[in-house]
Formats: sequence, C-alpha cells, structure tokens
Amino acid sequence: MNDRASLIAVAAMTFVACCIAAHAQQQVIGAPPEASNMKLVGSNDLQARSAYQPTIHHQGDRWIAYIGHHGGTDDIPAPVNPQTGKAEPNGTSIVDVTDPAQPKYLHHIPGQEGKYEAGGAQMVRICDGKALPKGDPGAVYMLRTFGSEAHEIWNVADPANPVLVIRLGGLKDTHKSWWECDTGIAFLVSGAPDWRTRRMTQVYDLSDPANPKKIRDFGLPGQEPGATGAVPTELHGPISTGPEGNRVYFGYGTNKGGFLQIVDRDKLINGPTEPTSENLRLPEISRMPMSAFNGAHTTFPMRGMPIAEFAHDKDGQNRDIVMIVDEAILNECNEPRQMVWFADVTVENRPMMISSFTVPEASGSFCERGGRFGSHSSNESMAPVFYKKMAFIAFFNAGVRALDIRDPYHPREVGYFIPSITAATDKRCVPVEGADRCKVAIQTNNVETDERGYIYIVDRANTGLHILQLTGPARAVAGLP
Amino acid sequence: MRSLPVIVVAALAIGAWSAVAAFEHDRPQAGAWQEIAWPFPRDGWPAGRAFRCSGEVCGDDVELYVRPKIGFCNCDSGVADDDEVDRVADLDLMSQRFTPLEPGKVVRIADMPGRLRSYDLKMADGSQHAAVGIAVSRRCDLLVAVAQGTGSAPGVQRVALDFLGSDDMTRWMMSAMGER
Repeated sequence: MNDRASLIAVAAMTFVACCIAAHAQQQVIGAPPEASNMKLVGSNDLQARSAYQPTIHHQGDRWIAYIGHHGGTDDIPAPVNPQTGKAEPNGTSIVDVTDPAQPKYLHHIPGQEGKYEAGGAQMVRICDGKALPKGDPGAVYMLRTFGSEAHEIWNVADPANPVLVIRLGGLKDTHKSWWECDTGIAFLVSGAPDWRTRRMTQVYDLSDPANPKKIRDFGLPGQEPGATGAVPTELHGPISTGPEGNRVYFGYGTNKGGFLQIVDRDKLINGPTEPTSENLRLPEISRMPMSAFNGAHTTFPMRGMPIAEFAHDKDGQNRDIVMIVDEAILNECNEPRQMVWFADVTVENRPMMISSFTVPEASGSFCERGGRFGSHSSNESMAPVFYKKMAFIAFFNAGVRALDIRDPYHPREVGYFIPSITAATDKRCVPVEGADRCKVAIQTNNVETDERGYIYIVDRANTGLHILQLTGPARAVAGLP
Repeated sequence: MRSLPVIVVAALAIGAWSAVAAFEHDRPQAGAWQEIAWPFPRDGWPAGRAFRCSGEVCGDDVELYVRPKIGFCNCDSGVADDDEVDRVADLDLMSQRFTPLEPGKVVRIADMPGRLRSYDLKMADGSQHAAVGIAVSRRCDLLVAVAQGTGSAPGVQRVALDFLGSDDMTRWMMSAMGER
C-alpha cells in the first residue's frame, strides 16, 4: 500500500471508530439501564407526561406519590388520559406506590393548558389535615401550582377522587413553594402582578387551608413595586426549617448569577409587611453570592452535621451545611456546567462554599448524548433514613446520582441509575446550521425519597416514574441492612 | 505515512480559517459606527459586541452593546412586558441606577419581536446619560441591546434602531441567534 492509500485507510478507520464511539453513547430503546449500586424496583409511564416534582406521602396504610407535570409538548399538547378517554392538559399524577414493584396509577388532575413551562402544574406539597393547626383532621391537603396563574389546594384524602378546596389566582408566575405542615405557614413562589420580577415569595398562613390568610409579599430590594434600577435575580424556591430552626433558605437564580439568602423566619413572618426596600432587607441575615455562571435551584439545609474530621477540634465540630443545586437549562452543554455545591453556613454572616460535585462528563460522553446534562434538583425529604447521610441528585441525561455526604467537605458518589428510554421518551433538539438536530435521551428532572428508603425519579422527557433502591455498599452508607 | 501529521494540521488550519472567514463575513460593516472592545467584565453570559458612533451621524457620542442570551427567555410569552426589559437589557452593566422615562413599546428587530424602553441613566461619575434598552426573542432565546449617550433619549433611540436595522447587523444578529 502506498502512503496515500494508507492515509485514506487510516482516515476511514478513524471515522468509523469515531462514529461507533459516538453512537455507543446514544441511548437506544431496549437497552438496559445503566446503574451502579442502585436498582430498579418498579416504574409507571405517568401517561407519557413530562414530569417535574414528585412528593411521596405516607397516607394511612398507603404510600402515595403526587407528581407535578410541565405543560404538554408541541407534538402532544394534551395527552389522553386512558382513565377518562379524554385529552387532558398535563397536571398532577397521583400514583399508589404502596407496593413499589407494582405502582398503581390512581388519578390525573388536569393542569393549566399550555406547553412546556407555560402550562401544567409543576409543583406539589402535601400536609395531613391532622398535622395542620386548623386543618380538617380527616383531610389530606395537596398544595400545587396551576401553571403560571395560581396556587391550588386539593383534598386528596381519597387520592383517587381529589376535591378542590381553594385557588389563589391572579398571578403571572409560580414555582417551587414550601409548606410547613406543623404551622401551616407557606412560602409560595409567585409572580405578584405589580412586582418587578417574575418570581418572588408570598407568605401565607395556610393553617386552615380553606381560609388562607396572606401575611406578606417578600423579595429582594429592587424587585418591589415602584422600585427603579436593576432588578435583582429572581427567586427559584425556599426551604424553611420551621419555628425551631427559625431560618428560611432562599435560592435565587436558576443557572446564572445565583445566590443563597439566609432569612430570619420570625422577622419575615412577624415583621413589618409593607414591601419597602427597608422592610425587605430587615429579615435578611446574609447572602452568599455564587459565580455568574451558576444559579441556586435547590437550597437544602442540613444543620448541625457532625464532621468526623473535626471531632477532636475544640470548636466547630458540628457544622450547618446548605447543599445548593444549580439547574442546567440548555441542551448539549451549551452553558457553563451546572452542578452541586456545599456551603458551610455555621457562621451565618460569613457563609462559605466548601465543596462541589459534578458527574464526570467523560464517564458517559454526556454532552453528546442529547438533552440537558448537569444537575437540576435534589431530594427534599428530611426523613432520617437518608437525611445528612446521603443526597440524591437529578442530573438530567446522567440520571440520578447517589452521594455520600456524611463528610460534606468531601462528597463522594456511591451509586447512580440512568433509566432506559422508551418509545415515549421525547426528543431534545439544538439548532445546527439552520435546522434542528434532535437526540433522544433520559432527562431525569427530579428525585424524592420516602421514609422506607425508596428513591423516586421522574423524567422531563416523558419516560415516567422509576422507583429505585440502593444496593451493595451504598446501602451501608445509609445504614440500611 | 510521514505526511499524515502535516495533512491533519493543514486540515485543521483550513477548518479554522473557514470558521474565521464565516464569522468575519457575518460582521456588520459599521459605517459611522466603529466596533470597540466589549468593555464589561465577564458575567454569566458570553461577551457580545460593542460599537461607538461619534460625530454628525449620531449627534453626540453613542455607544451600543448587543449580545444574545441563549435560553433566557420564556419560550411561549417572549418579552412580555417592560419589567422584562428592565431586568434583562444589560442596563446594569453600565449603572445600577436607571429610571424608566416612559412605558416601553413593541419593537421588531431582525424579525424578532420584543420591546424597547428609554431610561435616564446615572453613571458612576455622577453624569446623566440617556439610554435605550431593547430585548427581542426567538423561541427560548433572547437578544438584548442597550445604547447610551449624552444626547436626548429619542436621539439615542433613533440612531440605535437605525444601526440595528442595517443589513449587516441584521445578518449578524440572526447568525448569533442560530438562524443561518
């Protein structure tokens, strides 16, 4: 073979090898899931609706999963509900997961008409009536968003036959709210029409869900009505530690210019309510700015964590930690990496980032698989089975990642699970030379856990719900047999 | 086979040259406008392009900054209101202290719908400038422009819109938004 022929042969082999390598990273229907120290227990297709937030509730002797959905897709704006035979805008799926190997779809409550982020009913929280100070003891209340225009409360005591209790409407947006079941105080992520931001907080007393009482509007100085100048980054969502901890951790920004805001809950609830710049500043204890590259989607507090490495130190053996999860937004890595951060907030006016976690991109060529790659959210359950020991992170096309966080200064991945795609899995596209180039990949959007130790992940690309459990050494991290 | 590295390097060089040539082809011919270096520190978005216009064409000195913000817009409602313009139009790169002069209005630039709004801008040195913020969208992506100068707000608005409406700028903006 002469030099020229050799060159052509080598080039051809290189081309074929590259194609095979790239192709090997693409998910295909029928291929098994990718997993390490996690295994599939059961699944449900959720009527092929794009899923956002799952909340698992122990309801009597049953375990019920309530799952919020985004709006429909361009191809299928309102999927047909086989139980009614009707096309219904995506809303809330209610699934009996008492037997996690055989999840039973109970009911779909339609949401706001609209596609993708513009419709659906993305968020959901549950409180028992008997836990709320003035709730109906026989009721189980579900707080959900209704698209961008309202918050709703439903009585789901009979989860197959939910009944609407009340709607708080007239909003320009909604998002990930927090509801304290023992006090009824709710921090509703809303878009009040007169505020200068799409998302801020409306604090409500929902201790009697049928008679909501507005406490105040809250946001960052500059977002309030009548302000001028730059409008600060919008809210994504808060998590409260309740009256005992007396702190609310707010995450601002989603994938850009984010920060953690630490707020005195008592001053927030009982302070002056007029939305002036001064009154908005009053309850704030501190802010921790992040890089302009990253935003705060979830701010998950873990106070009083004993740090083994510091056990013999005379001070600072226990640390207050907040896990901050960014949200990846753009497909195929068209943005800075969105990942997980751990902040030490023990000294509240000087919070400091101490560690981070991301999935190594090369471990799955995730930037080439299609769809989003990067973090989105963590479990928010504080049940003892995993709290302060393990965290589960939804990582879009890298599935769910299980982290050992017992030493938050050095978080360590101990397991993962990337579900298989199905015929229902929707495509994700990027523009290339004037046309859309689309790929199909899992888009694990959110994750939640229950007190039994099951892990629930849901897919933004319509693949449904997967119920998982830990295996092997990952179980030992959580102290599971 | 000894020529393989040379050929690979040559191919890469040709590829890189083609990319540069394509980019250069899309750059606007500025006329009275001169392109200047992007004057702001790095933030969450990649730097855009900056231009300065001096002399009779623009009345007074006017600077214009324009860049795409990919994935930053509500995919369905686009740029829905004036608050959105206040929030996204990069006015805060120049000064945190800006005050709208009047309600904004609908605008269409490079075939993308959106809004523009005029402002008083208090600069760090205490001087008062006029500014116009513009935000238009295509699908889930945003293109923002902000112009500021020492002249009147209507004057700044007029020259900014004229410049953004030029063929060269239109072609570049469409290219930057992935519409080739």
